[in-house]
Amino acid sequence: CRVSSDGKPPKFQPPPKPVIIDRKTKKEESRFLSPEFIPPRGRKDPLKYYIERKDMIQRRKVFNIPEFYVGSILAVTTANPLASDKSSRFVGICIQRGGTGLGATFVLRNVIEDQGVEICYELYSPRIQAIEVLKLEKRLDENLMYLRDALPEYSTVDVNMKPVPRMDHEEIPVNKVQVRMKPKPWSKRWERPKYNIKGIKFELPEHKMQAAQKWSQPWLEFDMLREYDTSKIEEKIRKELSEELEK
Amino acid sequence: MMPIWTKSGEKHAVTLLKVQDCHVLRYVSKEESGGKTAKLLVGGKNASPFSKPESAHEIFREAGVPRKQKVTTFNVTDDAIIKPGTPLYAAHFRPGQFVDVTAKTIGKGFQGVVKRWGFKGQPASHGQTKTHRRPGAISTNQAAKVYRGKKMPGKMGNIYRTSFGLKVWRINTKHDIIYVNGSVPGHTNCLVKVRDSKLPTYKDCNKNPPFPTFFADGDEELPEDLFDEEIFQFTDPSVTFA
Repeated sequence: CRVSSDGKPPKFQPPPKPVIIDRKTKKEESRFLSPEFIPPRGRKDPLKYYIERKDMIQRRKVFNIPEFYVGSILAVTTANPLASDKSSRFVGICIQRGGTGLGATFVLRNVIEDQGVEICYELYSPRIQAIEVLKLEKRLDENLMYLRDALPEYSTVDVNMKPVPRMDHEEIPVNKVQVRMKPKPWSKRWERPKYNIKGIKFELPEHKMQAAQKWSQPWLEFDMLREYDTSKIEEKIRKELSEELEK
Repeated sequence: MMPIWTKSGEKHAVTLLKVQDCHVLRYVSKEESGGKTAKLLVGGKNASPFSKPESAHEIFREAGVPRKQKVTTFNVTDDAIIKPGTPLYAAHFRPGQFVDVTAKTIGKGFQGVVKRWGFKGQPASHGQTKTHRRPGAISTNQAAKVYRGKKMPGKMGNIYRTSFGLKVWRINTKHDIIYVNGSVPGHTNCLVKVRDSKLPTYKDCNKNPPFPTFFADGDEELPEDLFDEEIFQFTDPSVTFA
């Protein structure tokens, strides 16, 4: 017990207030970073990716590449020397985004006059004159290649579709449609767990679905060598991008 | 490797080569070497001095340069002799030039005859007993011997090979990077030797190369990026066909 110099009892010190760290409120919204900026794992010199990113930023300053995801509906106008107007426009759903750096590609699919058509465009090709996002949405999977084996109604997109208006602050809607498939055989065995597809309504009998689970590899998600944590790389690239685009 | 687009919209694949700490090490005159031209020893990419004996450090000490990982010789004419110790930069080459690139190919180890020489092997079924990727016959009856140089299994790769006539599309003077058309032998980040092309079609291609080399302390101020005329610059708007 402390004895004060005055002889009076010591002054009451209230306990320090508890510091509350509020983790439940959402952090600042994670802005969209196009997947081709993230360098893949490998032995290449990071200088190569830095130089490629400078070229990509140069292109983005002149030509607007909008934010889009797999499952959004895009319209692309390219320069075509063989067309009468010297330019051709194609509308379709984006089924896949591949490649990193300047060679990044995206595949658009549409069904025109009962014929399925897929065109693979390069994001940074100088022949592309305009990319418009008619409908921005996400789907349950990152790769919609199964639309090739689905009923054609799920891949048809109206060529004269008007862009769907969207507010900037809204979250990107996730289209949870379960696609119905044509009868088997399919181009790939989509029911197998390696594709991990959530957007198909499998109408296969139960024993077939159970048999497909035989090829599951449940140890893969615990494999530490396969982990590629891109959060820090993404932050750096985001900072770099925002600095360069403001210039 | 990267894509590069021309002004007409065509795509070409391009390999990036970095010129890392290249210095001229020694001048060997024509009489000394016994060849037809004088030689210049050039070393590239600094390496640790502790992994080699002192006797190997003499050349580097004379030139006043840290120990290099690789030392190569270039045959030069007498008017292109450079003083030992001068650094060499990527600006030695100019866009539009044609170049030969030499490197050690990726080593594949001991390989069989099908992969190494492209033999067809034997069918997979129809009665073949334990013979699917074997060489088959190695000589004829009358020869009574196997000729020298017969293609047989052995160590494949890890030998020097050259890709000829590669166009230089772009040079980055700030980071010393040469953008060379097409692919180049060797794995990623391997050491590579770049020379002016010896092909007769590209004999007169060099319009005004920096001769004998590009000197960094000279008066010339080069922009950060040197492009070939046909390259599509990303600062231009998209290509349109008139």
